[in-house]
Amino acid sequence: MTRKYIIYFTTLIVTTSLFAQREVLKDSSKVEKLDQVVVTGQHNPQSVGKSVFEVKVISRNDIERQAGNNLADVLSNTLNLNVTPNTSTGKSGVSLFGLDSQYFKVLVDNVPIINEEGMGNNTDLTLINLDDVERIEIVEGAMGVQYGANAVSGIINVITKKSSKKDWEISTYIQEETVGDEYELFNKGRHIQSIKLGHNFTENLYANAVFSRNDFAGFWNDRFGEKYDRNDGLRGYEWLPKLQQNTKMLLSYQKNDFAIFYRFDYLNETIEHYNELVDVNENPATGTTRPIAQDEIFTNNRFYHHLNATGSLLKKVNYNISVSYQEQTKDLERYTYIIRENKKENVEEGEYQQRSAFFSRGTFSNLINSKSVSLQTGFELTNERGSGSAVAVVITPGEEKITQNLENYDFFASSEITLSDRFSFCPGARVSFSNLFDTQFIGSLSAKQILNNGWELRAILGSANRTPNYDELYTYFVDVNHNVQGNPELLPEKGLSAFLHIKKHSSFNDGKIRIKNKLSFNYLGLDDRIELIVVQQNPLQFQYSNIDSYRAIGAFTEKEIFFGNFNVQLGASLQGISKVLETRNNNEDYLFNLQLNANFGYTLPKWNTTFSAFIKYISEQQQFVEKTNDAGEQVFETGKTDGYNWMDVTISKSFFNGSFVATVGSRNIFDVTSVNTTAFDGGTHNGPGAQIPLGYGRSYFLKLMYNLKL
Amino acid sequence: MKPFKNIICIFLTLVGLSSCGSDDNNLTSDPFVVAFETLSGNLGEIQANENINLIYSQTAKNNGAFTISINVENAVYGIDFTTEPAAIDGKITLQINEGSSNNAFLFNKLNPNLDETTQITFTVTNIDYPNAEIRGNTSHVLNSEAALGGSIQPEVGGPNEQFQVYVDLSGKTFTKVQRDAWDLAFFSQDEFRVGINGAIYMAAAELQETNIDNITQADVEDLMPQVAVGTFDPANEIYIDYPDGDINRTAIEEINLDDDQNKVYLVNLGYEVGTESPTNGSVAVAGDARGWRKLKILRTGDAYILQYANLNDTSHQEITINKSAGFNATFFSFNTNSVVNVEPEAGRWDINFTVFTNIIDGAGSYGYSDGVLHNRKGGVTAYSVTKDQYTYENFNTSNVIANNFKMDQLVIGASWRDVMNEEKVLVNNIFYIIKDSNGNVYKLKFTALLNDNGQRGYPEFKYELLK
Repeated sequence: MTRKYIIYFTTLIVTTSLFAQREVLKDSSKVEKLDQVVVTGQHNPQSVGKSVFEVKVISRNDIERQAGNNLADVLSNTLNLNVTPNTSTGKSGVSLFGLDSQYFKVLVDNVPIINEEGMGNNTDLTLINLDDVERIEIVEGAMGVQYGANAVSGIINVITKKSSKKDWEISTYIQEETVGDEYELFNKGRHIQSIKLGHNFTENLYANAVFSRNDFAGFWNDRFGEKYDRNDGLRGYEWLPKLQQNTKMLLSYQKNDFAIFYRFDYLNETIEHYNELVDVNENPATGTTRPIAQDEIFTNNRFYHHLNATGSLLKKVNYNISVSYQEQTKDLERYTYIIRENKKENVEEGEYQQRSAFFSRGTFSNLINSKSVSLQTGFELTNERGSGSAVAVVITPGEEKITQNLENYDFFASSEITLSDRFSFCPGARVSFSNLFDTQFIGSLSAKQILNNGWELRAILGSANRTPNYDELYTYFVDVNHNVQGNPELLPEKGLSAFLHIKKHSSFNDGKIRIKNKLSFNYLGLDDRIELIVVQQNPLQFQYSNIDSYRAIGAFTEKEIFFGNFNVQLGASLQGISKVLETRNNNEDYLFNLQLNANFGYTLPKWNTTFSAFIKYISEQQQFVEKTNDAGEQVFETGKTDGYNWMDVTISKSFFNGSFVATVGSRNIFDVTSVNTTAFDGGTHNGPGAQIPLGYGRSYFLKLMYNLKL
Repeated sequence: MKPFKNIICIFLTLVGLSSCGSDDNNLTSDPFVVAFETLSGNLGEIQANENINLIYSQTAKNNGAFTISINVENAVYGIDFTTEPAAIDGKITLQINEGSSNNAFLFNKLNPNLDETTQITFTVTNIDYPNAEIRGNTSHVLNSEAALGGSIQPEVGGPNEQFQVYVDLSGKTFTKVQRDAWDLAFFSQDEFRVGINGAIYMAAAELQETNIDNITQADVEDLMPQVAVGTFDPANEIYIDYPDGDINRTAIEEINLDDDQNKVYLVNLGYEVGTESPTNGSVAVAGDARGWRKLKILRTGDAYILQYANLNDTSHQEITINKSAGFNATFFSFNTNSVVNVEPEAGRWDINFTVFTNIIDGAGSYGYSDGVLHNRKGGVTAYSVTKDQYTYENFNTSNVIANNFKMDQLVIGASWRDVMNEEKVLVNNIFYIIKDSNGNVYKLKFTALLNDNGQRGYPEFKYELLK
């Protein structure tokens, strides 16, 4: 049946293609440029090749090829990065070098983007819409000097579009996706609608606006949704349904070397959690039932304002100053749902989690008038307020919520010293003053050496800290039997990373074949890692402490080949992780995991058609976990999580001079839903395994886009 | 063929033609039922008259009517009893009014001397209402026998579970006592034994000293952290009364006739009843710690003498406590420094809804909530049945296995609910067989742990006499 399905799809595409006009290939499906301009971590925008940091770029073209609506759609095929969906919260996080979203920072135009649990970190990737995005820049490794706290495992910098060559641009699309093999007009599948308008009012003034609606109707699997009245675990959804609506606006003014823009983003999201547990509410006297369930609806509202000015002072010093105010509030509506009567009772509404932040960042570069030395200084200040309700965080009973006000005043400087055409290095440092933690000092040092025959060497040392989260600081769970407490005295975790990148560019056959080769070695260490430990045996008492450490080492290689209309990227990565648990006698050996990825692109100019395939393989992962052995003792054993393959395939074809683009494709061709794992603490050594949800199975999409350019 | 349908749907949707949605609302409503609130009533306990209550399965949306027929043994309508409204040809007709959810008729007992041979049975025989069905408690019996069963919501008090509720199944009565109203239970059996109140997580440790006035806090400072519930130290089991209810395994040793053999005890008074409002589904049973006492217990004749004082006092108070014939124990409270009434008579209760102290293997004592303890000391026994053996509905007298009845008062305990996960749920596949001290055997199944709001401490159970 599956094969039929694919054949059907392909035939459809081929036939449509045949009847289509033969148009000249437009830039929307052109092969990616070799050297792209990047801004992440740079003193001034410059090309990837000149950058001291190793910046990976996902271009607009790549985003289109994957029909990506949000960040979670496009990152799953990136080497080293894994997207980790959480089916019980509806959020999608990131795992990089074995560290979760808390250690990874997401920025939009160099400014960390807020969510209800963090400023930049803990980001739900599905909340970052890509419709006005020009490119995505990814840097692996600690970037604390450049981007502050929580940029430990890496960062993503989403760069939005701020200008257009056309007077008017109107672009609108609808995208219909199946969720696994589920699809219906409203109740099943994924339905996206988007419209974007851009206009140059004068040659200096540009504005655009985007409205996007993403309706994910949930993954039902064998469940029966909201209106189901039996208590057999089949009520509700396997993946929670959610609806996102995103409005964005940009106003940009540019004259000579002065530019200023204001960007606004409002996001509204509703996540529906229908409890699988049904209280059948039997009336023994009448022998009848009145089934009820305790349901929850989460509503997220995010506001983002960003004002940015760039220019030069005295025709010499380049400044880049951003001022941003952001807030995100997650509200919770809880109620008793009388299933058969379709009625809500005992409705309780309240704030679940909230964050707001005033943020400003400024950099001043070219401070020294020298060809060989460039100096950049900068400041970053954050005034962040957060709160978590008693439903979100376990706190002292009777207390309604916890609030925290975090102020950070950071100053940083970095210098790029060019000793020769071939060798430059870049020391950097940041000092961070905070109302909650001691003053933190972090540093970085990177160097670049260009060798003969297109060889390039980069060595990058970086550091960054992770600030403790609310659970770690404020948990309070004390009763007759338990004593588990947060620790307000916690220090930030300290992260240090080292990368060595060896790159070689080659070109054959008069530049018809170009190859980029890269081999990288990485190290990432975390000290003062926060862990919940036993602080007293009798009576037993637990508290969060800065005690453990964590190491990841590895090597990875990436190869890009451009040959005619072919574009191939191949990658392989071997990463090992070692954990030191100070209070327990665990095994500190490194456990290794292999990842392979491959992206293929082929453009058929005659047909204005691009074929793409994105493949990723993740090997079995091992982890030391604590289990009970046959003698009833607690021992550390190797837990295993199965490997899996991921593959997306798309075909994109443009009609009528590129004014109409159709993209069809299939995500998750290998039909992965979850992997089996024994890598979790607790249980006996041959006890039952668990499953980690990864996807909702093979799905298909069709995206129709209309572009009007005047 | 589903994928094909999907693809076609996608295209049709895009062209704006189609509606591929389906109606998933396949819920079927239960019928409208009129049933008796209880299965039986005790004829002997009716003085002059009593309302016989009926309930509807849902609030009536229409007007209607229903008929109840009367079946009488050894009594005559109009002479020994009447009803209001009056029966015509042995049938009472009652109106169902739109908006109402219950109904009742009055039973007038005219002959005060009706004896055990009399039995009057009311049965719902007709319901004139759309989609109605006769089921559930279709009849109500008035006689002089043990209650046939019904449904009971013991008033435990919500998430603080502040009450112990003693339930008599055959008499269908309950007694509610504040959980921290007592501290010590001086048992009335032949043995001289004293229990501590596990419902407030008390603990007691025997000291080597025999003179109560010689003990100061300094002497027990090191011991105090261990003498508590929930320390996760398996050795702490000796400081609590054994959870199975065996009076020979209490924390306090049997009281000796020889005063010098009786040791002083360090007593942790546990916790006051909690007052906080926890998040839905959780309990807040323990409030502030109630502090410590030292005590020593002696015998005099067939009575106990309790000596007690605060830890640093150099003198003590003394009170004589008599055994209470007909009761399991005589209860003493440090709050009032006096004997207090707690349990009903030993033969007048079968199960007790209470917070209790349990033991977890390898982790020692552990404070539990939602406990249901049967009256071991009063001669009640019980056992549990799982659904893969029988369903509650199908279980009858012939399925009862006499050898299965156990004394262990934790047969029900907390096994009827599962609160390990975030979602607190009833254990659906278990029910219990209980034999009271008069030999009546009941089957009993829990029907609720939470109220409609999702709050804990609102248990409900149904039960039925097996005969």
